[in-house]
Amino acid sequence: MTTTVEGSMTTSAVALVLLLAVPALSAQAPRAAAPATLITNATVLTVTKGTLAGTDVLLQNGKIAQIGKHLTAPAGATTIDGTGKFLMPGIIDPHSHMMSDATNEGSLSVTSMVRIADVLNPTAPNIYRALAGGTTMLNILHGSANTIGGQNAVVKLKWGRTAQEMLVPGAMPGIKFALGENVTRKNNQTVIVQGQPAAPRRYPSTRMGQEVILRDAFTRARDYQATWADYRARLAKKEAGLIAPRRDLELEPLVEVLEGKRWVHAHSYRADEMLMLLNLADDFGFTIKTLQHGLEGYKIASEIAKHGAGLSTFADSWGYKIEAYDAIPYNVAILMRHGVVTTINSDDDGRARRLNIDAAKMVRYGALTEDEALRIITYNGAVQLGLETRVGSIEVGKEADVVLWNAHPLSVYASPDYTFIDGELYFSKAMDAERRAARVAERTELEQAEANQAPSGRGGAGGRGAAGTPPAMPPKENH
Amino acid sequence: MVSLLRVAGVVTCVATIASPLTAQRTAPATFAITNARLVPVSAPVIESGTVVIRGGLIVAVGATVAVPADARVIDGTGLTVYPGLIDGFGTLGLPSAAPAAAAGGGGGGGRGGGGGAAAPRAPNSTQAVGLQPELAVVNELGPDAMAFTAPHAAGFTTAFTSIGGGVFRGQSAVINLDGTDVSTMVVRSGMTQQLAFSRGGGGGGFPGSLFGVFAAIRQELLDAQRYRELSAAYARNPKGMVRPAYDPSLAALQPVLARQVPMVMLANTQREIERALDLAKEFNLRAIIAGGTEAWKVADRLKAESVPVLLTVNFPRRTTTPAVDADPDPLRVLRERVEAPKGAAVLQAAGVTYAFTSGGAFPEFLANVRRAVGGGLTPEQALRAMTTTPAQLFGIADRVGALEAGRIANLTITKGDLFAPGTTVQQLFIDGQPITIPVAAPSAGGAGGGRGGRPGTLDGQWTARIAFDGAEREVTFTLTQHGAILGGVLEGSFGSATLEEGVVQPDGSFRFAAWLMHHDGLERAEFRGVRQGDALVGEVAVQGHGTSRFTGNQER
Amino acid sequence: MRGLIRSVATTATLAVLAASPLTAQLGSFNPRPGPQGTFAIRNARIVPVSGPEIANGTLVISGGKITAVGVNAVIPAGAQIIDGTGLSVYPGMMDAANEIGLSEIPQGANATMDASEVGSFNPQARAINGFNPHSAIIGVTRVVGITHILSRPSGGVIAGAAALMNLAGDTPPAMAVVPQAAMVLTLPGGGGGRGGGGGGFGGGGGGGNAGATAVRDSLTQLLDDARAYGKAIAAAVADKSLPRPTHDLTLEALLPVVNGTMPVLIAGTTAANIRDIIAFADSQKIRPIILGGRDALQVAALLKEKNVPVLLTGVRALPSREDDPFDINYTLPAKLAAAGVRFAITSGEETPDTRDLPYVAGVAAAFGLSHDDALKSVTLWPAEIYGVGDRLGSLDVGKIANVVVTTGDMLEARTETKYLFIDGRLVPLDTKHTQLYEMFKARP
Repeated sequence: MTTTVEGSMTTSAVALVLLLAVPALSAQAPRAAAPATLITNATVLTVTKGTLAGTDVLLQNGKIAQIGKHLTAPAGATTIDGTGKFLMPGIIDPHSHMMSDATNEGSLSVTSMVRIADVLNPTAPNIYRALAGGTTMLNILHGSANTIGGQNAVVKLKWGRTAQEMLVPGAMPGIKFALGENVTRKNNQTVIVQGQPAAPRRYPSTRMGQEVILRDAFTRARDYQATWADYRARLAKKEAGLIAPRRDLELEPLVEVLEGKRWVHAHSYRADEMLMLLNLADDFGFTIKTLQHGLEGYKIASEIAKHGAGLSTFADSWGYKIEAYDAIPYNVAILMRHGVVTTINSDDDGRARRLNIDAAKMVRYGALTEDEALRIITYNGAVQLGLETRVGSIEVGKEADVVLWNAHPLSVYASPDYTFIDGELYFSKAMDAERRAARVAERTELEQAEANQAPSGRGGAGGRGAAGTPPAMPPKENH
Repeated sequence: MVSLLRVAGVVTCVATIASPLTAQRTAPATFAITNARLVPVSAPVIESGTVVIRGGLIVAVGATVAVPADARVIDGTGLTVYPGLIDGFGTLGLPSAAPAAAAGGGGGGGRGGGGGAAAPRAPNSTQAVGLQPELAVVNELGPDAMAFTAPHAAGFTTAFTSIGGGVFRGQSAVINLDGTDVSTMVVRSGMTQQLAFSRGGGGGGFPGSLFGVFAAIRQELLDAQRYRELSAAYARNPKGMVRPAYDPSLAALQPVLARQVPMVMLANTQREIERALDLAKEFNLRAIIAGGTEAWKVADRLKAESVPVLLTVNFPRRTTTPAVDADPDPLRVLRERVEAPKGAAVLQAAGVTYAFTSGGAFPEFLANVRRAVGGGLTPEQALRAMTTTPAQLFGIADRVGALEAGRIANLTITKGDLFAPGTTVQQLFIDGQPITIPVAAPSAGGAGGGRGGRPGTLDGQWTARIAFDGAEREVTFTLTQHGAILGGVLEGSFGSATLEEGVVQPDGSFRFAAWLMHHDGLERAEFRGVRQGDALVGEVAVQGHGTSRFTGNQER
Repeated sequence: MRGLIRSVATTATLAVLAASPLTAQLGSFNPRPGPQGTFAIRNARIVPVSGPEIANGTLVISGGKITAVGVNAVIPAGAQIIDGTGLSVYPGMMDAANEIGLSEIPQGANATMDASEVGSFNPQARAINGFNPHSAIIGVTRVVGITHILSRPSGGVIAGAAALMNLAGDTPPAMAVVPQAAMVLTLPGGGGGRGGGGGGFGGGGGGGNAGATAVRDSLTQLLDDARAYGKAIAAAVADKSLPRPTHDLTLEALLPVVNGTMPVLIAGTTAANIRDIIAFADSQKIRPIILGGRDALQVAALLKEKNVPVLLTGVRALPSREDDPFDINYTLPAKLAAAGVRFAITSGEETPDTRDLPYVAGVAAAFGLSHDDALKSVTLWPAEIYGVGDRLGSLDVGKIANVVVTTGDMLEARTETKYLFIDGRLVPLDTKHTQLYEMFKARP
């Protein structure tokens, strides 16, 4: 009954340090590197450095090791003939709710204390389906029920691994904000508490109130920041009898925002509400990293560019609610021409499997080049997550998150033949075929097990098995 | 004929126990069970021997023990005597009428919400309902002889018990299931604190979601750490320092933070267990996992971190014949049914400490234990998981869990070996008093059965699949019924929402509304349905998306 | 040539802008189509769908119809000539079940939602009478090459009569190809797919099984009554001595259904739903079209035997069961085609996103459906399913001139539309979206 964790925390300050250190220490236990893979003679869509015809790419030790012609496969490497196929970086989906066992903490207007990382479900079937659509990385966000939502999680879709192994260390911490209809419409709800009359509406009911919530929260965060700064200063002076201020999990992430250590991803639709947020952030001295959805971003593209915000939108979804009625599929093109780092996201597990087609639409609407269209689902997403030096393009030294397509990925007729993450193969059509066969066989076997038989009547609920050696566990899925 | 007599005997027995005039407990009672096969657990099996009980204690055990002159002799020929079995987790002893939890419901097998009902409100608490670690189950206990008939038939003389609802569930107790007097039921109290990652713990307020629950737990533990520091500083030197506010909730967490008291965390799936272990690590808590259906998948980590498991043996199995047109069960479900009974053997092999809990399924308990043996345990290992191991985990190994002189006279007596198919419990001794078991135990639907929630209500967690735009999506409803009013939360692939306008009609049908997140908007959905056995069936109408059907099953 | 078109379009845009502030109302963004002139598209790749591709040919449109197609088609004097060099000519696509014209903004703007009438039995409700010809959705949908659609009511048991509409014109009658093309039905107790029911419970699907049975009995009774009503009318016409039954709009509206002249669109998702629908249709002698069809493959033999067509609404939907192969819905069209089941592919999206239709067909082609069949599944096949295969769905002489001229493969998302003809009228390509684009793209 002893645990391996020893040592008690003597002061809150020490506790703070330990707690902040925990995610870094426990994230992604090292594993044996995947065997090397050489993809030969493919059309390589580097996304940042143009298109390379008839080119080989070597994936080794989880990285893109070499790009060139006539590369030699190292001993033990798997070679894949890429002739007629297209290699592109794994798709990055900057707005997802996949594999999260919770979406909204809708009870309060400020729920910065909640963390997606606490509730990841690494077994969600849609992970595998997204891999089959060429998506390798997600920014998983809190829902849009409240003005300040919870903390994000950035994951690679390492199907079969634990949640800890999927979390991407080094991704910039983020937090979801939300403005507009989803926040105010929440007020249409009457909360029923047992035996009591309907609870009053939750503030805010208007866009005005949303600004108030934000201003109030950051004002409190500033005070909290000052309280801690004062404490630390006195601690540095070795003042006696100090007791650390109370740690406040609601305000801590907001202090991180103020200090540029946590990036804001703000659900917003109308140009005016986006502008309000940018101005408010300017007042408090921080930058909104991305406007999420931002369907009317095109109306204030220069203001967004000036603030330094990025924007992550839908390709051409529109009109599904009032604040989406002025959405246009040219949003991306206008923003890109104003220098805004723009991405397309799914916000939907189904759509996460076809972001390549959404990108292709941007060639039609606003005449993006094919490289630009590919960047809005790859490299630009990496920028929005602070990972552009590691993922998002095919360059030597980058993490080997790559997808080999059977046709140009901007074609509706294309589908991934192979999806790699960190050089490891997580999906291929051949593996998928084997998986199907294995599952059919497994089902047949499992259906015969006693626990899966319908009861023939009441009585002997189990207990027929005699003592003996344990039968082997069915193999875990390892795709 | 025989069974008739037996039943009549039971009625008499129950009536006797319940009668205030009999005053049986105070009467001196000396028993000798002779010629019985004795399984002391702590010592080798005695193929034929005698147990002597006097004054509620075992006074002698052995092959050649003399029968005292004052003893009432029970001929144990053909009988096997075991130490009284201990149910390692549950809510037994809570009056079934109390909102806290069902008698026997929820408990070990319960995922998250268990009984689903809110915990009682502690007076002077600083924390919201559901977040009050100062609650103590001993303050809620009530003798309820009827509620114990099913556990008795399963062989239980003793049970771990705690409050069934909420996130922080307060201080636990081990009780003897004698059903007459709370003051003598309690064997030990306060040996653990309970924590469940139960959604909707805040009764409509914060936290209303799973990640909200984690945030609330974290903040409360941090506040408790600070309370410790403030209190210590004040104790050292109150001069010039503002007196820390009295806070029973934060005070109650001090023994947990100091690792004097383990935190029992309800967790069943692999990811739930990993989350619990992560939290324990974060706050340096001594953790015990309760439920643990998939604990075998993290056996190595449990071993490495020395975390014991109160393992439910309420193993899943197919309980109904599927409808002709029904979708086949997912492989996940088929696997879980086959794997669950083998889990204990995996824990055993990995060296993880585990005790069994009935998971509320008392009529199936012994059969389930035999399934665990079929899954690879030896009978001796299984027996320890119901006797010595829980006794050690709960710090009462010197009192119960073995047939040894000086211990509490809790005995479970079977006709034949406990692990032989069909063997039933014949008689119990609890605190030295005999309790006869009826042949036909009450059905699972009675006071002892159920899988969370009070009988006749919609309480509990339901996992439903909703056909929506041609695809099926999964959501979880955590429902709480108070009379005709139905409350709760919905969570899943449509986001999370508080249920509105929930009512249960006199005919048992229900309806409620919720806002679903779809296509980045909220759409109002109206649910209507009825409960059919263990399932909810009904229809959901979503504005702009037509009507579709949903079916739900209660989560274990 | 492009300049000519652009100038027409710009004029239309300006007219709109001058007439009203841009967002003052939910319509009037769509430029009006030109007159039914004579047009010749020459030197183009022509994809008739009904026959082999013509690598370099001419297509002539006159008086609203296609009047010539071929390598050597004669260009009439006075025809407006469009140089199709490097361009491709396709028949316009059809989205075979949506709510365009009836629904505008699904969330939070109920006043724009006109698809669901109150009550359970509304056969007398007609989409043609609630259709907003100025919906902004019409403009943005047609410019991808979707020239006509089936607009359908939803909700209750009998939602009303759907209309097959061209996506250009000033008034609903001017746009209607078939004003009452199909009756929309949700079979009580039969579950249903997307949009199957709607409008609350209102007796629609029934709460429990008992309720559903009662509602189904009411439906059966109503159809029986309609048959009796038709018979009595026919008898009264033949024999003046017999009394004519009292006029009943509900029964009147059901006459084409029970006579088998009007197909019935019935939502069906699971195999059990579909079997139930087919059995019901057999017993009632009505002509079903299955809407949804998720598990149609499981009942493919029955669908083929009964010649019941399916409108697939979920080709891109996520698999509905956790163990389903990732591509179960993507491959459904290919498998149904192989099994000989008649089907069409619909966008399956919310009304504003109907324009995704070609890419849905593209996914089906990516997963096994032949390219020809993918094209047919959004052109000729839906037309045939609604009985207008002789008027729409391919580039054949005599057909309605719904014609799209593109820069390439019509099912590809990168492809642009260069010219659009609906009902033989040249349609300017401006939309609400291009108008906003023009307004803001140069904003500093």
